[in-house]
Amino acid sequence: MLSNFLRGPHWSFRALLVAFCLMPGWVLAADMGNCLLCHKYPGLSRIDEGGNMKLMFVNEDIFNTSVHSKVKCEGCHADITKIPHEPAKPVDCLAVCHIIEPTSEQKFSHKSVKTFMDESVHSKVDKEGNLKKFNEDMPTCKDCHDNPLFRPLAFVKKVRPGIADDAMGRCRVCHEKEDFIFRFYNHITTRLHKSRSPLNVAQACGKCHDDKELVKRHGLTVMAGSSYQETFHGKAANLLDEAIPDCLDCHVVKGKSVHQMYGNDDPRSSTHPDNRGAICNSIDCHPGASVQFANYQVHPMFDMDKSPVVYWFTTFFYVLTGGTLLPLMFILFFDLLRRLFPNASFTRRR
Amino acid sequence: MKKLLTKLYILAFMALVVYFGVIIWNLTFAHIIHEYHERHAANMEHSEESLVQKEKVAKSFEQVILNSETRTKQYLGYRVLEQQYIEGHFHHIGFDVGPDRHSYCSSCHGDMPHDSVTKDLRAFLNMHAFFIGCQTCHSRPEGEMATGVYKWYARETGEIIPSPVNDAPPGTYKAKIIPFVMEKGSIVRIDSQAKRDFVEQYRLNEKELTEGQKSKSKNIIHNIVSKKPVICEECHSKEKPLLPLADLGYSERRVDSITSTEVVGMIKNYTKFYMPKMLNPGVSHPVDPAVDPVEPVLPGQLTPSVPEVESLPPAVGTEG
Amino acid sequence: MAKYPQIKIINNEKYFFRFDMDLRIQHIILAATVVILVLSGMPLKFSDAFWSPYLYALFGGITMAPTVHKVTGAIMLLLFAYHIFWIFKVIYLDHYLPMKREGTYTIGRFAMRVLKLPMVPNLKDLKDIIDLMKYLFYYTNVRPDGDEYTWKEKFDYWAPFWGMFIIGASGLIIWNKELFTQIIPGEFINFCLIAHSDEALLAGLFLFIWHWYNVHFSTSVFPMGTVFLTGYLSEELMCEEHYEHYVKVMREEGYEKEILPPHGGGHAPSCSDHAPKSSQRQSSPENVSGTESSEQSVKEGGAAV
Repeated sequence: MLSNFLRGPHWSFRALLVAFCLMPGWVLAADMGNCLLCHKYPGLSRIDEGGNMKLMFVNEDIFNTSVHSKVKCEGCHADITKIPHEPAKPVDCLAVCHIIEPTSEQKFSHKSVKTFMDESVHSKVDKEGNLKKFNEDMPTCKDCHDNPLFRPLAFVKKVRPGIADDAMGRCRVCHEKEDFIFRFYNHITTRLHKSRSPLNVAQACGKCHDDKELVKRHGLTVMAGSSYQETFHGKAANLLDEAIPDCLDCHVVKGKSVHQMYGNDDPRSSTHPDNRGAICNSIDCHPGASVQFANYQVHPMFDMDKSPVVYWFTTFFYVLTGGTLLPLMFILFFDLLRRLFPNASFTRRR
Repeated sequence: MKKLLTKLYILAFMALVVYFGVIIWNLTFAHIIHEYHERHAANMEHSEESLVQKEKVAKSFEQVILNSETRTKQYLGYRVLEQQYIEGHFHHIGFDVGPDRHSYCSSCHGDMPHDSVTKDLRAFLNMHAFFIGCQTCHSRPEGEMATGVYKWYARETGEIIPSPVNDAPPGTYKAKIIPFVMEKGSIVRIDSQAKRDFVEQYRLNEKELTEGQKSKSKNIIHNIVSKKPVICEECHSKEKPLLPLADLGYSERRVDSITSTEVVGMIKNYTKFYMPKMLNPGVSHPVDPAVDPVEPVLPGQLTPSVPEVESLPPAVGTEG
Repeated sequence: MAKYPQIKIINNEKYFFRFDMDLRIQHIILAATVVILVLSGMPLKFSDAFWSPYLYALFGGITMAPTVHKVTGAIMLLLFAYHIFWIFKVIYLDHYLPMKREGTYTIGRFAMRVLKLPMVPNLKDLKDIIDLMKYLFYYTNVRPDGDEYTWKEKFDYWAPFWGMFIIGASGLIIWNKELFTQIIPGEFINFCLIAHSDEALLAGLFLFIWHWYNVHFSTSVFPMGTVFLTGYLSEELMCEEHYEHYVKVMREEGYEKEILPPHGGGHAPSCSDHAPKSSQRQSSPENVSGTESSEQSVKEGGAAV
């Protein structure tokens, strides 16, 4: 595995990364309880009562490049106090963990996310505090997040993904702890850009928003993921453009958290019809575009009921393309056949 | 000759034209037809007021198994992390071990065979099953058969390979340990081609076999299975571990870790509340079908004699 | 005309004039831009396809390929503008001025003369298509005898001509969407995207299958047609595709005695040792009569080139 990882492009950065991962002293920083004694084995798994596969394996190398690399296992898996342990309970992401937030010197917690989420379109309860219908469809932490991984950037000469050795060298002048340098560098540069590529974001949203049943149950008008892929934005995201807008760039109010997402009918929402123009002509996107630029359908559906104009326009071109090419293919085929059997004939005119 | 080539060329080009025709159809009219059917299907469902309730439909093998495993790719910029997607799995996997294509046991029992039978140990046993062949623990060659020779075989090809251990991360070997036995004066691997063929033939002919034939073949297939499987302490012990760890390529440090107090101490914890029953195969425990609807216990479970331990008093656990 | 003799004789073989240097250069620029545009555009249209990242990387990936596409598109549009200019020039010099000089100019006559230019689709093309169908389904063994430009060539010309308007206009709008949406609503960009990509798909498939088959991959010309480089077509191919025009040119140039019989009667050139002579003989009268009937229109139209 390691050798595979080391091959391919940018191997030197990978080598560096691996070197950091294998650096003794801090590699087990999160693993105070020696959990990896067992959990380092990829086969640590079972099929649970519901027939689903449960994998208890933790890939240490990857974990150490994740944002939680400094959190002890017990920090999240708080119900585990001894080894061997009973089947672990689900992790409460809102728990106060042992990490100290350096600016406030308070213990760290994701609690604020809950307050954001409760107000957002994705909350399980409506404004009156009643449980929404099908509230079990509403996303919880792990529906969108797996363990977030660092996506470091190197700002040396130009921006490229990965870690810049020279920047690290600068850090080492004053800072001694390699793990601090590594983590701090990763944290800062990851936070300076998108923590997931636009394609991964679209996929995360698409898990639910492309689910036909779910879209229907909740009365949503579009298949958000697949229709996004029909636009230039989605196609560029498919080709791994990092700068292209993804779901969050339009659906989250600038400067707010992604967890504060509102429905299109909510005036606070960035996608409310009154606010849409401002998304498109922002300085980073299409500066100078008029407000009616935002009439552009970012979720065009090839569906006669949902967007008839797009439907008929597309159909026209489908028919034009198929109607032109298929007869030509037909002629071509018989032209070849005629060349294959030049003399065969059933109605030879004499 | 030239004529023949020309004819072949024409034929190839005809195939190409048909291929393009299909592509063009799929790119144009197929979309329109697809949309038409989708829309009609949606309209039909609307009229049945299926909006109110989630549908519970019996799912096919295709839906539950074939389409159940998806893969994800995470684009981290400096690397692409591709791995299996397991719903609700938070930690990353990062690589694939791949199924054992060689073992004739896992063709029926699967790569994660230990499930309801040994509830508290199942994950541990499955973990070991990723790099230890079934026969290593579930058969005890005795008397003349015993050789004490164990070797690694590749999961994919089944070939005997040199030790993959070296400095590889534990458990990621893509290889398994298989015992060797003495047969007719020569040392051969226990999963001989004859045994593999026997199982293969059984699986092919299963539908035509009579009751007696069926039971008989199962009996023959499982006749190398020992009553008492090898238990943890037989390997995780400083004194005469069953497996010749050094011969299998484990470094001194790894041997020490495997037989160290760390591992052994943990096993002892389990033994206190678990092993007594495990070593006492007389007490059987009926499996409650309601608890375990999707996992019918196979008649030829590899550990048929081990009773299920449903739940343990937490007090005992805390003591341990 | 003196610059390009209608028939060139090299090594005792006749070659027939088709395209002058100006047109050949236009064609090569067009071909090059089309290939680049298709290769740099299709990975975006089929962005899920396994091949698209590799092909796109050839043009510099998502950061560079759109620029390559736009610049190439601009070159193509400039070429198109030149081509339009060229058409008007030819019509003005070869048709408008002579009519003025002769004093026969009226708008009606001028329009008739333009409509009868050999590149303009006419009833003869329809007849040829029907004849081709008859031939392909073994209903007859006579291949349709094409005029100076066959219906295939006219299709090859007018399909991209129409495509150029659609793709060019929609491409320009998408390129300058901020500017254009000052006037048109944003939804038009959706339409432009659909039109641009679907019409491009049509054009691309059309050119790379149909056009390339007819001019390169068909067994008559395999492995490569050279007329787009030399401007002259061999006598064999001239007979096969443009028999009517061939007969006319041979007569005009005084080679009446050397006119070859038409291809036909199941006479596929690749298997020429097989051709039954009887069918050739039987088909020639038909062709000759066909030639005479449309000869007048050809004379009136004259050579556009």
